[in-house]
Amino acid sequence: MEKINFRNDILPLKNKLYRLALRITLDSAEAEDIVQDTMIRVWHRKDEWEKFDSIEAYCLTVARNLAIDRSQKLESKNIQLNDDATEISDSHDPHELMEHDEQVVIIHQLMNLLPEKQRSVIQLRDIEGKNYKEIAEILDITEEQVKVNLFRGRQKIKQKYLEIQNYGL
Amino acid sequence: MDYKYIEQLLERYWDCETTIEEEQILRAFFHQEDVPSNLIQYKPLFVYQKEQKSILLGEEFDKKMLGLIEKPVVKAQKLTIYRRFAPLFKAAAMIAIILTVGVVMKKSVDNNGGLIYVYDQYQGNNSDPQVAYDSKLPVDSINNIVKDQEGSQVENN
Repeated sequence: MEKINFRNDILPLKNKLYRLALRITLDSAEAEDIVQDTMIRVWHRKDEWEKFDSIEAYCLTVARNLAIDRSQKLESKNIQLNDDATEISDSHDPHELMEHDEQVVIIHQLMNLLPEKQRSVIQLRDIEGKNYKEIAEILDITEEQVKVNLFRGRQKIKQKYLEIQNYGL
Repeated sequence: MDYKYIEQLLERYWDCETTIEEEQILRAFFHQEDVPSNLIQYKPLFVYQKEQKSILLGEEFDKKMLGLIEKPVVKAQKLTIYRRFAPLFKAAAMIAIILTVGVVMKKSVDNNGGLIYVYDQYQGNNSDPQVAYDSKLPVDSINNIVKDQEGSQVENN
């Protein structure tokens, strides 16, 4: 394996780590803090970098564990969810105008209502485009469990979304 | 565009049977403007997936992170080196000050002629051993000697 360099190999993971942390905590400041903590922890274990099969998977695992720890401390998840939704509608960038779309906001809220494991699996699969093996390694579960969680998550979003569409709930 | 194919992909997507590449095809398909009406209800989901990937941390974070990671190490080394040698530096400075002050004081004392002050009284007198026989000897002591000699001569007689 080639020599791992912090600036070139670990720092560029910041966005993936941030998105996963944000998906779990639903709080952007908290998520940024988690990415920072993750990187400091990984930095302190720099002697072991060469031993990891995938430094990316390791970083994502650390970030997820930190995010779960912290999100347990956040008292009201619903308030955080609403905060996040209003943050999105604040943007004026034309590219992000799609996010003003009410339907997309509904998807966002439905997704964030899922249990943490399903949320993380969907995040890693549908947004980061990772295969089952990588996700299993990051979450420390079997590939079968990854698939089960992904299936349940996707089905729940589909079902709830169609309910809202059809009955205007 | 073959919508049958997309419908098929969608079915497999819900069953988690699609590959990563097929899921990318779905996202690309739903990201375009004209999606057929029977499929448009799924558009927001795939649009959302794609948009979520554009959530990024700014350059500021990089600077902060590198600052956090690189500085403490360098700083810590600098501090330990400084701290390790600080007492030595202090001792060296004290010795330098004492030496300087000592030398300056010694020189100024020498120049003041503290020794010369004493030396002046005997100037020109103490260099010659003949001074002992000089007539300039204190008169009193010579008288004593003379008296002593005379006295002993009287006793002898």
